Amino acid sequence: MAPQRTGDEQNDVAAHALGERGHTQALHSTGGRPSGGSSGPGAPHRGRVFVGLSLALGLSLAIAHGLLAGALDKMSTERADRQSLVSLRALEDLVQRAGGSGDAVRAVVSTWKEQLPPGSAVRVIAFSGIQLEASTFPEDQGERAAPRRLSREEKPLYDRGQRLRAAVETNREEGSARKLEVETEALPDGRRLLSAPVEVDGSVVGMVELATAPLAAPLKPGMLATLAFFLVPLAVCGAAAFVVRRQGLLVAMSVVLLAAGLGGYVSYSLGTLGSEVHATQTLVASQLQAMAQRAQAVMAERQLAAEPALQPGNWDADQFRRPLGLVTPAGEVNEAVVSARVAELRSGAGRALGGLGALALAVLLFIGMGGLARTVETVVEYRTAYLYIAPAMVGMLVLVFFPFFYGITLSFTDSNLYNTGQALSDIWVGLRNYVEILGDFNIARRAQDGSLVFNYLNFYYTLFFTVVWTVTNVTIGVTVGLALALMLNVQGLALRPVYRVLLILPWAMPNYITALIWKGMFHQQFGVVNHVIRMFGGQGLAWYDTPTTSFLTALATNGWLSFPFMMVVSLGALTSIPNELYEAARVDGASRWQQFKSITLPSLKPALVPAVILSVVWTFNMFNIIFLVTEGEPSNSTEILVTQAYKFAFQRYRYGYAAAYSTVIFGILLLYSVVQNRMSRATEAA
Amino acid sequence: MFSRRDGVPHWPLHVLLTGFTLFTLYPILWVITIAFSGKQSLAIATIPEEPSFLDQVRAVMPWPETWSFSNFVSVMRDQPFGQWMFNSAVIALGTTVVGVFLACTAAYAFSRFKFAGQRAGMMAFLVSQMFPGTLMLIPLYIILVQWLGLGSSRFGLMIVYATTSIPFSVWMLKGYFDTIPKDLEEAALIEGASVGKIFWTIILPLAKPAVAVTALFSFMTSWNEFILAATFMDQETMYTAPVGLRFFVGGFSQQWGYFAAGSIIVSVPVVVLFLFLQKYLVSGLTAGSVKG
Repeated sequence: MAPQRTGDEQNDVAAHALGERGHTQALHSTGGRPSGGSSGPGAPHRGRVFVGLSLALGLSLAIAHGLLAGALDKMSTERADRQSLVSLRALEDLVQRAGGSGDAVRAVVSTWKEQLPPGSAVRVIAFSGIQLEASTFPEDQGERAAPRRLSREEKPLYDRGQRLRAAVETNREEGSARKLEVETEALPDGRRLLSAPVEVDGSVVGMVELATAPLAAPLKPGMLATLAFFLVPLAVCGAAAFVVRRQGLLVAMSVVLLAAGLGGYVSYSLGTLGSEVHATQTLVASQLQAMAQRAQAVMAERQLAAEPALQPGNWDADQFRRPLGLVTPAGEVNEAVVSARVAELRSGAGRALGGLGALALAVLLFIGMGGLARTVETVVEYRTAYLYIAPAMVGMLVLVFFPFFYGITLSFTDSNLYNTGQALSDIWVGLRNYVEILGDFNIARRAQDGSLVFNYLNFYYTLFFTVVWTVTNVTIGVTVGLALALMLNVQGLALRPVYRVLLILPWAMPNYITALIWKGMFHQQFGVVNHVIRMFGGQGLAWYDTPTTSFLTALATNGWLSFPFMMVVSLGALTSIPNELYEAARVDGASRWQQFKSITLPSLKPALVPAVILSVVWTFNMFNIIFLVTEGEPSNSTEILVTQAYKFAFQRYRYGYAAAYSTVIFGILLLYSVVQNRMSRATEAA
Repeated sequence: MFSRRDGVPHWPLHVLLTGFTLFTLYPILWVITIAFSGKQSLAIATIPEEPSFLDQVRAVMPWPETWSFSNFVSVMRDQPFGQWMFNSAVIALGTTVVGVFLACTAAYAFSRFKFAGQRAGMMAFLVSQMFPGTLMLIPLYIILVQWLGLGSSRFGLMIVYATTSIPFSVWMLKGYFDTIPKDLEEAALIEGASVGKIFWTIILPLAKPAVAVTALFSFMTSWNEFILAATFMDQETMYTAPVGLRFFVGGFSQQWGYFAAGSIIVSVPVVVLFLFLQKYLVSGLTAGSVKG
């Protein structure tokens, strides 16, 4: 095969493959050489500062501009949604007073139609009879006019109504707001569709929908201000580069300029945001007043129930129907709450932009001080190696290291189901989660009859349980595994390979299947274990009703699962002991116990110690068994740390708290591995 | 204790071992019995009102009253289990291909080149094995489901499995690559082969056994994975086999016949693979390259 490459490349590749450092490119040719600039000896370095400043400032301003644009965009959607929501709620109130279905509802809707801006439409669905009660949608005119039964292709409508009903019922049952009680959806033509349930006498009987008029022009940040905050500092820096001769001074100046440019933009954007928040509240307040008046008028005209009194303040609520309180019930802007919200917005944005500033500074210094030049040089020098590693590294960074650090960051926040959309800085709570976890010593208390009642959600209880779980399991695994290995190791034992393969089977089965099998075997009524107990005249036990029996089921499962590993490891070590050792010992007259103690055990140690260390970590983190077998029953008493953390995250939806919990687990594991490392090193040295 | 000496009577050992083997096999036999019983019930046999001792014994003997394949047929035909197996197979195969490719290239670089950040990279891979699953799970859930919209998607699960399997695979493969003599490559270089050519035509074919073991290992891990799949896949059609099996016996449904039949279908391939692999696993694990 004839080489198709140029000589240069070949040499280059060869140099790398053989692990030699090839001087591929010199520093000067790869460093950020300025495009124009003077050609004095210090010129490249001054150029670097200029390039650094323009990159750092440009990037950070671009990001800040994007953030501001996103925030304004969100705000204009929110503004439109809240205005529509007020109309929707007012209508819902009227429909409710009209009884949810029938002529009264149609009359209300036809009156209400006139109150809405052109292009918007409303409809009312009644669940009884799957009926379209009233509609002003253009597609529901003529022969498709309400009232009529929903047609087959309108099933999504009905489904949406059922979802809302389920959400209301779930929230009521749980006494919390976990499910959205209002759905919003962007229609293809730029309008938005809002749907809310209608409750009559405490049960959801239908839903109202409102399609808004197309959005007014969304709010956009000005380009001019951004450009100004970018160009002015650059111009100053450029000018200074001709005057200032000292590198350090120039760097310091560019830092000041960066701070000025970014700081100026930050204060500009915060001002914009604040005034928009105020404008939104004023708009919503006037909308509330107008709607309340019209609703009163409709109620009087249609002779609808006037009791309970109309509460426009309730229309100013989020999508979980929790009142926002931004507008008072009387329809005035609640200045105190609004300012508090603006302040919160400011501090949140301020923190986010502060982080951005720090990043920009790092970029500036990195480029300005020549770090980039050196990095580029390194990358070029080892490019083949980096090329091979890059795919794996990128994957690891995105899906392993970033989530890890993001998880640790989450642990300092109050992240939960409701606020995942918010910036982390808005929900920052510092060490509160850790204090709550580690500072809670309410482990157990005395009940009135003197017995101990454990608080099973307490961290220290779970830690204690996890340690008990780990120690018992590893002990069982090692004892059983070692005993079996010793039996199988007897020379000349017939059928040894058969036993060996059969005994390994539990390890080979997927462990979630094992867990479910054992759960079935411990079933109170039909489970095999209880059948065996009854066979010998006993009573079947309700295994998952007390912590001890529940623990025993998990122990049995994991014991069954974990002995084969220990058996295989010990067997491997046993077969490698030379027979001569035993023969010599016998010649010296050692008893069988002495042989075991001074030959077998010491030879097993190098294999068993790592295996035990490994299985401690495995058992400590044995998620599947606990999660599937005991499920923490009864009342979380048999949770280990990892399952508890999972439940905090995915059943109680406290992401931040669960992240802190997991970080504590990580700390424990880290501590364990450090201590274990020390100990094994000490024993090796001894 | 039993040392390696002739003259220990073997029959008590056989009694003990047979007893223990039966105990070990019992749960497996029990599942097979339920799978072939053709019923959904957990119980192996129906017991009369006033059971005699023999009836009781019958209730715990792992032998079905009647043999029937109906559970296997209906789990594949009436239940979406075929779809779940398909999801699992796609995810596991995808994971294997992507994961092994990434691991091979990275391991090759770590084994053959000297470069800045080499030690740090290897250490980073090792340390990443200590991150607890639940700590990763929440951010992964937020990133994958809420940011990237990859909830209930095979692709999302696949890339997560592939990247999380990289560290172990890299450590295993690097160890093997290190044992391949460098002279071969030097000779090829002198002949004018490029690094890419050397990697594909010399190193990979030589490392076939290690690559095969790594591939089987990644396949098995993703085939058996439960928590991530249970967290990310919330549409029934997108379940993987483990999540689907749990669906049969979780909550209020008690379709033990389907569960047992499904378990057997899922386990047989992995059990066979495992028995084939175990000696490599033991040496790989106890060499200290992996910490849970």
